[in-house]
Amino acid sequence: MVTTQEKPQGADRSAEEERLLAEQRRENRNKWIWRITGYVVVLAVWEFLSGLILEEALLPGPIRIFQTFPDIWEGGTLLDNFGATLTRIGIGFGLSFIAGAAIGLFTQNRWLDSFFRDAVVVSLTSPGLVWALTGLIIWGFRPLGWIFAIFMTTFALVSVNISEGIRALPKDLLDMSKAFGVSAFDRQRHIVIPHLAPYIFTAVRFGFSIAWKVTVLTEVFSSNKGIGFQLRVTSQVFQLDEFFTWVLSFFVFALFLEKVVLQKFEDRFFRWRPEVSAA
Amino acid sequence: MTTGVITPKTIIPKSGPLAQLLKASLTARLLMPVFVIFIWYVIYWTLDSRIFVPPHEVAQFMWAELTLNTLLKYGSVKSNVYEMFGITIFRLLTGFTVSMVLGTVIGLAMGLSKSVNAFFHDWVMAILAMPALVWGLFLGLVFGFGHQAPIYACILAGIPFVIVNVREGVRNTPRELFDMARAFGVPQQQITRNVLLPSLMPFFFAAVRYAFSIGWKGLVIAEVFGSASGMGWTIKFWYDAHRTQGVIGTGLFFVIFALVLEKVVFERFAKRAFKWRPQAGDIDVVEEQFLFDPTIEGAGEAEYVSEEGING
Repeated sequence: MVTTQEKPQGADRSAEEERLLAEQRRENRNKWIWRITGYVVVLAVWEFLSGLILEEALLPGPIRIFQTFPDIWEGGTLLDNFGATLTRIGIGFGLSFIAGAAIGLFTQNRWLDSFFRDAVVVSLTSPGLVWALTGLIIWGFRPLGWIFAIFMTTFALVSVNISEGIRALPKDLLDMSKAFGVSAFDRQRHIVIPHLAPYIFTAVRFGFSIAWKVTVLTEVFSSNKGIGFQLRVTSQVFQLDEFFTWVLSFFVFALFLEKVVLQKFEDRFFRWRPEVSAA
Repeated sequence: MTTGVITPKTIIPKSGPLAQLLKASLTARLLMPVFVIFIWYVIYWTLDSRIFVPPHEVAQFMWAELTLNTLLKYGSVKSNVYEMFGITIFRLLTGFTVSMVLGTVIGLAMGLSKSVNAFFHDWVMAILAMPALVWGLFLGLVFGFGHQAPIYACILAGIPFVIVNVREGVRNTPRELFDMARAFGVPQQQITRNVLLPSLMPFFFAAVRYAFSIGWKGLVIAEVFGSASGMGWTIKFWYDAHRTQGVIGTGLFFVIFALVLEKVVFERFAKRAFKWRPQAGDIDVVEEQFLFDPTIEGAGEAEYVSEEGING
């Protein structure tokens, strides 16, 4: 922060700048105070609710959930279940991302665009539950069942984002490359894909946030391990403390992947772009 | 458009009527369902499954449901698809109303005050990212299989979107317009009606849309796990009964309902709500704020229309 400033710090800074900086610092501190207050109040209300309003067996408090986590960790199945769920997400979302991106690229052609338009709308508006049960009833416990469910709920998100990017393509560049006889493949490789990169990242982040939820839902119905399976088992035997521990640990993990890992990756990818790295 | 530029399209040599028909956008659109049904039959013929059914049986099931000639009674409930749909819509509307009112209040507070925003922000995001499945399982155990669990699930699924959108709307109000209105001594009531509300409208509208469509998805999942009536329960009932036509047919009812909601209700409503926009040419400053999406949408429509005009 200091290194990017052009002026030497200290004496040269005017009174106005000082005032603005101080104000910003105060605002920042204020924000953090309120944020922490928010955490404390919500957690306290939760803890309070779980013994007085609802029985602790029904609504375990945050302290109880925190204590249950080591038990599950020692049980040794945590990584196994995480791995199972992540494998499902990886395969299902990976495939639907490829297909969704292809469909998004197809929208450059008007005929294919209108061919896929209704399928995309249906996929965007229908609940994942329908596809989870339909896939299950067609293919049973075979992988195709859950792949189908994840595919039907996420491919449209990817293709919508990609086609949004295509709509914003630099038309003049494309026209010029066409005029100079650049092949269709090279046009995709050197103009379309680099331009689309930010849209692709948005698609991955959005798609992932939907994909893990659908994956967990499919595991409830058709799996013998994974987070969804654990949710079903623990809720069926009324072990709500374990239920919440499973949910929240995976929830935190998914948010971490979504917000931190993908974000880091994206920042790295766009390092060459001056305006993004400055922001 | 009126400059008379010759686009490459006009030079393309004319082909026969059949080729033209095949190339038309409408044909492509109509081919999609045909393609899906074809794939469905292919799966049906190649898959060795005793319970999977071809499309025409699903259509028969749906027709029987709609005409109240179902083969099976709904267990002990003795009800029909209309009643189940009515129950779900009642829950949806209740949850929607609550999440709109509460979400607007919280969203306004978050938009107006930075402290309130910092207080709620992370928790709103956490609720937004929580799968509806969790609410369904948990609330079903807490409140039993009545109306409460699905309604609360619907609220929890929809409210974060309302909050976020209303907050964004408040943050995006045109401050210069407020200052000017005050400088010219416009009464507060008129400012609220003519400046604040129109600038909030697009965001508020997005909030309505999300609260409905996300709330609907959350509600259906909650009904599967935490309810003994409604459409979600119905699909689970047919699933447990090993009636594929029931599962897919009810699923199609879901999809049709969601599509009708999205395409007919919301798009009509949006058109009516924003009818004033193109005519607001004399208020340039306001227009600039909204120039963004109408032009893109308008351009897109114009392209499609012209394309269909050429092909058909």
